[in-house]
Amino acid sequence: MLALQLLFNAIALGAAYALVALGFVLILNATSAVNFAQGDLVMVGGFGALAFGSLLGLPGIVLLVPLLVVMIGIGFLLAFVAYFPVRKRPPDTVFITTIAAGIIMSNGANAIFGPEPRATPSLVSSGDWQIGGLVVSYQSAAVIIVAAALIVGLHLLFTRTQIGRRLRATAQDRDVAASIGIPVNLMVAATFAVGAALAGAAGLLLSRNFFVSPTDGANYMLKAYIAVTLGGWGSIPGAVIGALIIAAFEVAFPALPALIPALAPYAEAFTQVWSTVVLYVLILLILWQRPQGLFGEAVRARP
Amino acid sequence: MRKALFLSLAFAMPSLLPLSGPALAADPSIPVLVPITGFLAVEGKSQRNGAVLALTQAPGGLKVRHDVSDTGTSPEVAVNAFERAIDDRNTVAVVAPMLGTQMLALLPVALQAKMPMLTMSGTAAITQQGNPYVFRFFPDDHVTKTAQVRFAVEERKIAKPALIYQTTAYGQSGREEILKLLKARNITPVYQDALDVSQKDMTAVLAKAQAAGADSLLVHLHGGPTALLLKAASTMGLKLPIIAGSGLSQPSTLALLEPAELATSCAETGSSPISAETPEMQKFVADYRKAFDQDPDAFALGQYDGTMMALQALAGGANTPDKMTKALASTTYKGLAMTYKSNGKGDMAHSAVVICFDGKSRVPTIAKHYDVN
Amino acid sequence: MTMPATPTLSPSAVPVRQRPSPAMLVNGIIVVLLGLYLVWSGMAAGNYTLRVLSIAGIYALLAIGYQFIFGHAGALALSQGTFMGVGAYASGILAVNYGVPFDLALPISVGLPVLLALIVAAPVLRLETHYFALATLIISQVVLLIAIEWISFTGGANGIGGVPPIRIFSVTIPPGWPLLATVWGFVALGALLAWQIARGRLGQAWACVRTAPSAAAAIGLDASRLRLTAFLLSAAYAGFAGSLYVHALRVISPDVLSFPIIVSCLTIVVVGSRLRPVGALLGALLIILLPEWFRDLRDYYLLAYGCILLLVVVIAPAGLLGTLELLAGQLLPASPSPAPSPRPLEPLAVRGAAVKTSEAAAAPVLDVSRLCCSFGGVRAVDDVSLRVMAGEALGLIGPNGSGKTTLVNLVSGFYVPDSGRIALCGENITGRSSYRIARAGVARTFQTVALVEDMTALDNVSIARDVNRIGLGAALRVGLRDPVQTRAREEAAFLLEQMGAADAMMRPAGSLPYGVRRRVEIARALAVQPTLMLLDEPAAGLNETEQSDLAQRLRALLKQGTALLVIEHNMSFLAPLVDRMACLDAGRLIAEGTPQHVKSDARVLEAYLGTASELVPA
Repeated sequence: MLALQLLFNAIALGAAYALVALGFVLILNATSAVNFAQGDLVMVGGFGALAFGSLLGLPGIVLLVPLLVVMIGIGFLLAFVAYFPVRKRPPDTVFITTIAAGIIMSNGANAIFGPEPRATPSLVSSGDWQIGGLVVSYQSAAVIIVAAALIVGLHLLFTRTQIGRRLRATAQDRDVAASIGIPVNLMVAATFAVGAALAGAAGLLLSRNFFVSPTDGANYMLKAYIAVTLGGWGSIPGAVIGALIIAAFEVAFPALPALIPALAPYAEAFTQVWSTVVLYVLILLILWQRPQGLFGEAVRARP
Repeated sequence: MRKALFLSLAFAMPSLLPLSGPALAADPSIPVLVPITGFLAVEGKSQRNGAVLALTQAPGGLKVRHDVSDTGTSPEVAVNAFERAIDDRNTVAVVAPMLGTQMLALLPVALQAKMPMLTMSGTAAITQQGNPYVFRFFPDDHVTKTAQVRFAVEERKIAKPALIYQTTAYGQSGREEILKLLKARNITPVYQDALDVSQKDMTAVLAKAQAAGADSLLVHLHGGPTALLLKAASTMGLKLPIIAGSGLSQPSTLALLEPAELATSCAETGSSPISAETPEMQKFVADYRKAFDQDPDAFALGQYDGTMMALQALAGGANTPDKMTKALASTTYKGLAMTYKSNGKGDMAHSAVVICFDGKSRVPTIAKHYDVN
Repeated sequence: MTMPATPTLSPSAVPVRQRPSPAMLVNGIIVVLLGLYLVWSGMAAGNYTLRVLSIAGIYALLAIGYQFIFGHAGALALSQGTFMGVGAYASGILAVNYGVPFDLALPISVGLPVLLALIVAAPVLRLETHYFALATLIISQVVLLIAIEWISFTGGANGIGGVPPIRIFSVTIPPGWPLLATVWGFVALGALLAWQIARGRLGQAWACVRTAPSAAAAIGLDASRLRLTAFLLSAAYAGFAGSLYVHALRVISPDVLSFPIIVSCLTIVVVGSRLRPVGALLGALLIILLPEWFRDLRDYYLLAYGCILLLVVVIAPAGLLGTLELLAGQLLPASPSPAPSPRPLEPLAVRGAAVKTSEAAAAPVLDVSRLCCSFGGVRAVDDVSLRVMAGEALGLIGPNGSGKTTLVNLVSGFYVPDSGRIALCGENITGRSSYRIARAGVARTFQTVALVEDMTALDNVSIARDVNRIGLGAALRVGLRDPVQTRAREEAAFLLEQMGAADAMMRPAGSLPYGVRRRVEIARALAVQPTLMLLDEPAAGLNETEQSDLAQRLRALLKQGTALLVIEHNMSFLAPLVDRMACLDAGRLIAEGTPQHVKSDARVLEAYLGTASELVPA
C-alpha cells in the first residue's frame, strides 16, 4: 500500500515537473538556447495564482485561465527582453540574459510578496478519498488530470493546428521555415509564451501542496535541466519521461528501506541527501555511457 | 556601435570612483544588516522589523539612524555590508545577521573594528571564540534544544524519537545539540534523516520513522519544510506527538497549516509574542502589526528587545562602540520576552518556551517555560 | 555544437607587430588607468572600498582562469566555482586545523582542484555543450553536498571560522591596503601569465579548435588534449583564487561552492571579455561593485542589479573590452604589420617508422581495401578499394552524393569505417582519430573552406607547423618572442608565397576573397608536409587563370613525391592533372583507369546521366 501511495505521489509530482521540463525543451528546440529563467517562471506562476486567488477568491482550476493568459504575456516579454536582443550571439549569452531575468523575477517577487512561503488555493477543494490505506487527495488527483490535459492539449496544438505546425517547422529548421514564409520570430516568441505558460501552470499545480517562495526557482530549474538531459536533449517525450523518473527517484528512493525489509537496517543510508547524490552520480554515469542522454539519438558530427 | 560604447563607458565610469558609504551625519547610527533576500529572508525580515520597530521607538527622544542593508546568504556580502556600515564614524553598534556562517566571517572584522554586534544567530560557535563584541539576544541551540528535549522527555514521556533535521547550518547544529541532550538521558533516536530545503514529498521520511518504531518526532526544520512535514503526517494519519523547532512558531509557517494539522504538535522557541500574555506584549504585537501588517515571531521580538537594550544604553550615555560594548556586557535588561544578561561570552538570552496547539486555533499557548544556564 | 566565436570581436592571436595595434593600445591604457586607480584607492579609500576592491581582484583572478576553458576552449563549464571552493576549503582547513600558512599550502590548494579537474575530465570533457554544462553543474552540486554533509571535516553548513589572514614568507598581510596590494599583485601576475599563454601558439591552437574544429583535426591538433590543458589551467587559477578568498574572508563557508559564484564568474567573462585578461579585470570590477552601488535601494538592489546586468549584456555584444577595442579600431586604423621573410621548409628525413624500411617505401602511400561505411541503412561507401602511389595523382569523380567526400572523411579519420582497411605507406591507420592520421602525414582540404576567420592568413598556416610542440610547457618556456612561432611564421610565409597568396599574408582570413582562401587552405595542408594530400573540390569557385595556376602548383607537389587524391567535377581541371581516375556511384567504385578510359566508360556515363553536363569540359 505504501508502494502504491508513493507511486501516486511520484506521478503527481512528476506530472508537474513534466510541464516545467516541456516548456524548457520547447524553448530549447526553437532557439537552441537554455532558458535559465524556466524555474523562476514556475515561481512566478505560483505567486500569480496566489494573487489571483486572493483577488478573485475562486478555486485554482478557474484561476488557471487568467494565469495562463498572464504567463503567455510574461513569456512574450521574456523573449523580447532576454532572447531577441542577443539571438545572433553564442547560445551561452542567452544563458546569462535569462539568469538576469531570473534574478529580476525572484527579487521582484521578494519585494512584492515577501519572502514567506505561501500556499495557493486548491485546484478544486481540499479533502481526499480513502481507498483502503491509499490516500488520494483531490488536489493531487486534480494535478495529475490538469497536467495530463495540458500535455495532451499541447500535443494536439502541435500536431493538429496550423500554428502548431509552424512552431514545429521553426524548431526544426529556422532557415527553411523562414524561406516558406513562416514568421519565424513570431513563432519563437510564441514558443517562449507556451514555455512560460507551462511553467506557470506547474507553479499553480505545485504551490498548493508544496508552497511557493521567491527562492524556489533554482531548484525547479535544476530539475527541468536534468529531466531534459536525461530524456535526451530536444526530445519532447523524453522530457516527460525524464521528469517522471526524477520525481520517482525523489519520492521513492528514500522509501526503499520501508518498502524492502532487507534494507531496513541501512535506513540511514537512504536519506534524502544520499538519494540526491545517487541520482547525480547516476546521471553522470549515464552521460558517460550515453553522451546523448537516455532517449536521445547519437548524431555523427559533419566535418 | 557608438551608442553602445557610450553606454558601456557610462557604466564603466563609476568603477573609477570610490564607493561611497552612507552620508555622514551627527546622529548616532545603528545599521541593520540582515538577510532580506535568499533562503533565510523570512527570519531576516523578522530581525529587520524587530530592530526597526525598536529604533523608531527609541527611548528619551533619541534620534538614531538605521540604514538597512541586505546581507544575502553569503559571508562575502555580509562582510562588505559590515565594512560599509562601520565606515560611518557615528555607528555605535550593528544589528548583525542571524546566519551562522556570516557571523563567523564578521567576528574577526568586528574584533578589529571594536564594534559590538547584536545578533539572533543560534549557532553555538559564535560565542565560543572569546570575541567580546558579539551579543546574542536569542537563546542559543543549547538553550532551545534543552527546552525541546526536556519537554519531550519529561512532559510527553517519549523514549523512541525519530529525529528529522535540515541540511543547513541551523539544522546541523541543532541536531548535534539534540543528540547530546538525548544521550545524557540515555535515549538514542530510532531513526534520523537529513532533509534538503527543497525536499517536497515527506511520505518516505515519515514511513521510515514509523517503520523504525518511533513513538514521537523531534523535528528541527525551517518553517516551510516543517509545515510540509506536518501536512504529510496529518494526511498519513500519523498520530505521533511532534515536538518541533522554532520554525513552527513563526506565524508565516502557521499560516500554511490548518489548525487540525497542528493538533499533536508543540514547538520550542525563544518567545511567543502572538500568545500575548502580558499587556506590554499585547502592545508590542499591536504596534508590530500596525507597522508591518503581519504577526511578529520570536526573532522579531528578540531583535526588538536586543535593539531596545542597546538604545537604553545609548540613552544612558553609551555613545561610542566601546562604551556600548561595556554597557551590553555588564548590564541586565528586562525585555518583553525575558530578562537579558551576558554570561560573559555574549550570550544574553537564557530561557526558552515550549508552545503547543489545541487543534482548533493557530494561536499557540505557552506550555512550559525553561531557564537554562 | 561547438560555440561559434564572435567574428572580428575576439581576435585570438596577436601577430608580430612593430607598432601596437589599436586593440593592444586599449588594453594598455586600461591597465595603466586601473593601476593608477588602485594605487589611489590604496592610499585614499576607506576600509569598505579596499575590501570590495580586494574581493573584486580575487574574482578577476577566478575569471581569468575561467577564460581558458570558457573563452579559449569554448566549453560552457559550470565547475569553476567548485574548483575555487575546493581550493578555499583546502587552504582554509590546512590553516585552521594544521597551522599551515597560505604560501606553504599553495601546492595543495592549487593542486587539489587541478587533480579534481583531471579526475572528472575523463568522463565529462568529451560531452557536447549543454551536456557538458549540466555534467559540470552536477559535479559542483555533489561537491557542495559533500562539503555540507562531511561535518567533522568541513564544519558542515556553518563552515569553520577563525581562518588566519594571508601569510607570505612569514609576513602576515593585514586587511586594508596591504591585502589590496597583495591580491592585485597576484592578479597582475596571473593576467600576465594568461596573456603570455594566450598570445602564443597555444592560444592560436585553441582558436583553431574552437572556431574550425575540423580544420584543427586535419592539421593534427589534438582537440581533447588542448581542451584538457585549458580545463586544468582554469582549475589551477580557481584554486589559487579560492585560497586567497578564504584567507581574505577569514571563514570557510560552503557558500563559496554555491551556484551564485559561477554565475558571477560567467557574467564577468561575458560582460568583460571572453578571451582577454584585461577584460576579466574590467568585468570583475563591474560585477562585484555593481550591487554595492545599489545598496541604498535596499529591497530593490538585486532587482536593479538584474536589470543592469541584462542591459550591459544586451548593449555591449563584444563585452566592455571588445566594444572599446572595436571603437579604437575604427578611430585608429591599424597599419598592417610587416610580413616575415620566407624560409623554405626543411625536407622531412623520415616520417614515422613506416617509411624507414625500403619495402615500406615501395608500398603505396594510400591503400584502401574493401572499405564500407553506412549511415542509417544507406551505404555511403560500399566495398571500395583504391591505391595511390607516391608522386601519383588520383582523381575521384562521381555524381553528387556518390560517396566521394565520405571516402575522404574515412581516409582522414573523420568517420570510422564499418569494415575494411586503410593503410598509409603500409601502416594500418584504420580507426585512428583524425588528428593522429594528420600527424602521420595525411593532409586535406574541405569542400567549404574552413579557416579561422579572425586569425591572419599567415597564422592560419603557421599553426599547422610543429603541432606536436604546442603545449603549456612550450608556452611558458618562451620569452617575449617564441622562436618556434617565429620559425613557423617564416615557413608559413614561404608556403603562402608558393601558393601565390603572399599579398594576403597579414590580413585576417575572414576578409580574403574566396579564391585566396582556397589557396590559404592548401598552403595550410602543405604545412603538414604531407605524404598524402586529399583535396575536396579545390577548383570550385576559381576562375580559369586561378585554376591553371593551382594545377601548376599541384604538379610541383607531385614532383616532390607527394601523393594526391583529388575530388573534382571540373574535368578540364582534373583530367590533365591526374594520372588515374576513379568513379564512384552510390558508394560503389564503378570505374578506374586513365582519365581517357574512365571518361568514356559506359557505366560512368550512365551514372552521370541527367547530370552529364558536368563531364563536358567547362
